[in-house]
Amino acid sequence: MPDPRVTGSIRYAQDVELDGMLHARILRSPYPHARVQRLDASAVPDGVVVLTPDAVRDLHRYGCQIQDQTVLAADEVRFAGDPVAAVAAPTKREAEEALNFIAVEYEELPAVFDPVEAVAQEAPLVHAHHYISENDAAYFGMRPVDGTNICHRFCIRHGNVADGFGQADVVVEETYHVAGAQHAPMEPHAALARWSGDGRLEVWTGTQTPFNLRMDLAGIFGLPEDRVRIICPPMGGSFGAKTFVRLEAIVACLARKAGRPVKAVLERNEEWLTLNRHPATVRVALGARKDGTMVAKRVECWVDTGAYADCGPGVAQKMGFASPGPYRIPHVWVDSHCVYTNLPPNGAFRGYGAMQSIWASERTMDLLAKRLGMDPLELRLRNLLHDGDLYCTGEMMHDVHFEECLRAAADAIGWSENRQGKGLCVLLKGMQTPSRASIVVEAENDDTYTIRCATAEMGQGAHRSIRLLAAELLKVDPERVSFPDPDTDLVPYDTRTTSSRSTYMMGRALVSAVRDLEIDGKRGCGEVVDQGGLDPDTGQGIASSHWHQGAAGAEVDVDEETGKINVRRVHASIYAGRVVNRPGAELQNEGSMIMSLGTALFEGIVFENGQTTNANLSDYNIPASDDMPVLTHELLEREGAAIHGLGETALPPIPAAIGNALYSQGIHVTDLPMTPEVVLDAIDRSSDQSSAVSSQLSGASSNEPDRMRNVARREPDTQGEKS
Amino acid sequence: MKIHFTVNGVPSEVEARPDAMLLDVLRREMRLTSVRETCRIGVCGACTALVNGKLISTCIFLAPMAEGAEITTVEGLGGSHPVQRAFEEAHAFQCGYCTPGMILTAKDLLDENPRPSDHEIQLALSGNLCRCGCYVKIVEAVKIAATRLTWLHHTSSGTSRAR
Amino acid sequence: MSWDSPQWLAPSSLEEALRLRADLGDEATVVAGGTFVGILMNQGFLAPTTLLSLRNVPGLDFIDPSPPTRDPSLGTPLEERGQNGALRIGAMTTHRAVEQSEVVRQGWPALARAFSLVASPRVRNQATVGGVLADADYASDPPAMLTALRAHAVARRLGGERAVPIDELITGYYETSLRPDELLVEVRVPADTECATYRKFRTRSSGDRPCVAVAAAVGRRGELRVVVGAASHRPQYFPEICAMASGRPDQSTAVEIGRRYAEAIEPISDSRGSAAYRRRVVAVEVRRALEDLIDA
Repeated sequence: MPDPRVTGSIRYAQDVELDGMLHARILRSPYPHARVQRLDASAVPDGVVVLTPDAVRDLHRYGCQIQDQTVLAADEVRFAGDPVAAVAAPTKREAEEALNFIAVEYEELPAVFDPVEAVAQEAPLVHAHHYISENDAAYFGMRPVDGTNICHRFCIRHGNVADGFGQADVVVEETYHVAGAQHAPMEPHAALARWSGDGRLEVWTGTQTPFNLRMDLAGIFGLPEDRVRIICPPMGGSFGAKTFVRLEAIVACLARKAGRPVKAVLERNEEWLTLNRHPATVRVALGARKDGTMVAKRVECWVDTGAYADCGPGVAQKMGFASPGPYRIPHVWVDSHCVYTNLPPNGAFRGYGAMQSIWASERTMDLLAKRLGMDPLELRLRNLLHDGDLYCTGEMMHDVHFEECLRAAADAIGWSENRQGKGLCVLLKGMQTPSRASIVVEAENDDTYTIRCATAEMGQGAHRSIRLLAAELLKVDPERVSFPDPDTDLVPYDTRTTSSRSTYMMGRALVSAVRDLEIDGKRGCGEVVDQGGLDPDTGQGIASSHWHQGAAGAEVDVDEETGKINVRRVHASIYAGRVVNRPGAELQNEGSMIMSLGTALFEGIVFENGQTTNANLSDYNIPASDDMPVLTHELLEREGAAIHGLGETALPPIPAAIGNALYSQGIHVTDLPMTPEVVLDAIDRSSDQSSAVSSQLSGASSNEPDRMRNVARREPDTQGEKS
Repeated sequence: MKIHFTVNGVPSEVEARPDAMLLDVLRREMRLTSVRETCRIGVCGACTALVNGKLISTCIFLAPMAEGAEITTVEGLGGSHPVQRAFEEAHAFQCGYCTPGMILTAKDLLDENPRPSDHEIQLALSGNLCRCGCYVKIVEAVKIAATRLTWLHHTSSGTSRAR
Repeated sequence: MSWDSPQWLAPSSLEEALRLRADLGDEATVVAGGTFVGILMNQGFLAPTTLLSLRNVPGLDFIDPSPPTRDPSLGTPLEERGQNGALRIGAMTTHRAVEQSEVVRQGWPALARAFSLVASPRVRNQATVGGVLADADYASDPPAMLTALRAHAVARRLGGERAVPIDELITGYYETSLRPDELLVEVRVPADTECATYRKFRTRSSGDRPCVAVAAAVGRRGELRVVVGAASHRPQYFPEICAMASGRPDQSTAVEIGRRYAEAIEPISDSRGSAAYRRRVVAVEVRRALEDLIDA
């Protein structure tokens, strides 16, 4: 049987149809911050169902970590694109036309568009109060600061950084900026909702988080969770975009009012108004002794979560605990703030915050290496964590192979032959901890087996990997194991399909499920719970039950007249532990690396006074086949090792490796994406700097740390941030 | 207005507005879901079909312009076309959303250039976006298909084949 | 109101098409290949009440290197402009046909190349030579190259026609000097180019629209034309600067022309680059285009 993906017969959420269904469209605020004075939908033609804020005012607030969302923006809109009304009509065209008949009057309010500005005293508030969610996705202590735009603050306090910097012979300091990005899955968001005769809500939606979604929808409508059913068709890509409540609440409300099923499929430009990747400003100070031993590191992150927090607190936390890097550092201070702005909401995006802090951290390593006159590889090797070392969270590292990954990446790009135009990066990234996974295996009468599992398929191949693992345990051919689309009525609980956790967690749950099946004969259940978590005020505890690890090397040349980077090759060495589905694992590495080229070189959402100016696939580019350099990778395995998720690991190191490759040629870039214009600016500065150096040599001396002037923007003021 | 065309060998007549795009007609009227709506501006290739043997972005192709045309979508390749098989063999897809467009574009390339270099393959496919990032394996798939098609051409034209 | 279905008009002769143009003017949206119209409609920028398709009009899809012929049925003789051997391309010829034409590749290779760089094969299969000129998209490749090659377009209306040099046809940001009763029927490219080049500088993905594009050509009589596209609202050609060179410039003249173009141009800002950045790149890319000619 040919694969349904090559015949075109695969059905995504956007292809689901029910008789009598209506098509929905959403009316969105044109202003980034405004009060809704008046909304009049009386002119909407008959036959069109309208949802206005009054209709949803009594529904509960929701939000996976902070409960800051309502089904429609009731009285106040907080970003240009915030849904204020919605309609459903027999055709999409009629629904689109009907939006023109809704008249809304707004009173504009002051707005803020930068996370550093948003924490200043005088910044307008996006939300007056912060309500912590009870959703399972709020799995760590939330630390919102009421009366400010900070909805979470994560800290690491390890040792004493003042002492640490005192002991340093050399300190380097720099501030980095990473632009927002759009996941741009090829399939846009799509959801279809229907209410059964007895008041049960059923939703077909492309989602990575069926149980979190079910919980939030139940909460919105005041229903017990088992009165809500989520069915997950495979997704045409997601990368974090299709998580938590996106369209589902609006579609469910329309369906309830219409008494008919209602389906919404977003237009492409609406994707930029739904969920994006967090822009961030990260400042790093790093101190070391003259032999390269690192002694102190201070990191501050300002994470722009947009108008609604979504899982921004979790992203800020992950960004925070990835920022020290895979190194032994006795004194570490991290402050990571998740900050509201009046921009579209930001949420889970492949890498989950790690990319932004790894960019800053690994670029700073090369600044330090240059100050010390050391080989950047040697500097890293001197400080890397090994099994038995403690991380700055207090946890002991186990099954870590950072050195091996880094050496492999360096070898792959011929580091020992010459270092001109080459750069390295090594990283650690955590996996959702704590988390819970459960799975059921049913034996059918015809010697086949059915897996009941909430893991969602978005192209990452999780269903195939889990089937292969089950087949191995059951000692049957994988063709005899089926894995239907997750349906919360039929599958047991799973935390969610994020964080590259599914193969690892479900693989372990399968072991006990199959054992259970052997005893029961018809049905076996298995559950695995990983405990852990970090104290958000000290950053101590267990950040991750195991670590995602990797390294990358890049070789580039630069057209110094235009700033255009030509990436000649990239290589990633990723620790896999044990590979279950080899082609799937290769595809995940390759896919992460290709996506990272966009992050590194040209992907960035451009806002102007809160308006998204490049919300289409022409003004916003994603990598095409012709953009590929020589791209190689390897999967490191160890006999008897646990499966290590790798759906994201190869993404964060590539931009830093490219940035470090530029730095090897004296071009110091602090911002992502490294567009030719940004690179040309850096080239200009480096020639200013070298003429400053020559004037130094001819006259005055200076003890200024190696500090490059940044593109003019407001710099974070740390005076007010000390706790 | 009524529009007549042949889709995957089957003559059809549809009723459509003159400002409908061929993409909508193929999806709604003809129930073909391999042509997909993604960017609506002709840049991503997920809506690709062959119209009179030429690759077209159906999302920006006004339906009346298809009058009298022969249209091929991936459903018309049967499932075992050498290009489809090569994609499966090379594992050249993840979510599968862009795959029909990739397959038709690869087929079109190989019809015109039976022995493309890696660079020529990358160039020919550069108008088909894959966010999952399967380009490495897609290039492999096209090379496998090229070899197979060349072999098939030789065998069908009676040239003796090496064993 | 676009709830109402628009009218689809598909005349089967040029005369009928011109009559409809005369009657309806800009109330009817002309559809050549339809790519640009399709994009505008999908984005909600255009909701036509009448679509005037040229797909059934014969005689507009051709590539011909022979001299022009007279067409007495329209009353006015075609202007010959002394161009024996000129390339004539019908307005409904697709980009793909131009790209793949042996005639164009042999005689006007830079033109074939400029057409081959447009968008994707799908767009090139659909978009036409007449359409790309009538759209006057500032980032399009063919207009700059055609201007550098001293091409002109033939615009016809009932009772007459006129020849319009490309740089007089495109007057501004998506604006042409076409009258509401006119249709483009043909483009003519003289056969007296000694060497030509086309450069397309993109700052982002390989599939991106250009940040700066440069078309440059030297005619057999030694005239140099440098045309910068994608950097301003319309292709930029400064004859007084080009006059510095007679024939192929030497290296230092190439540098100087690049510098002066950068000074003279009024660049735009978009997601491909700011105005200041474009200005710098213009100096570099113009110089590089001229270096291509030096090496040719």
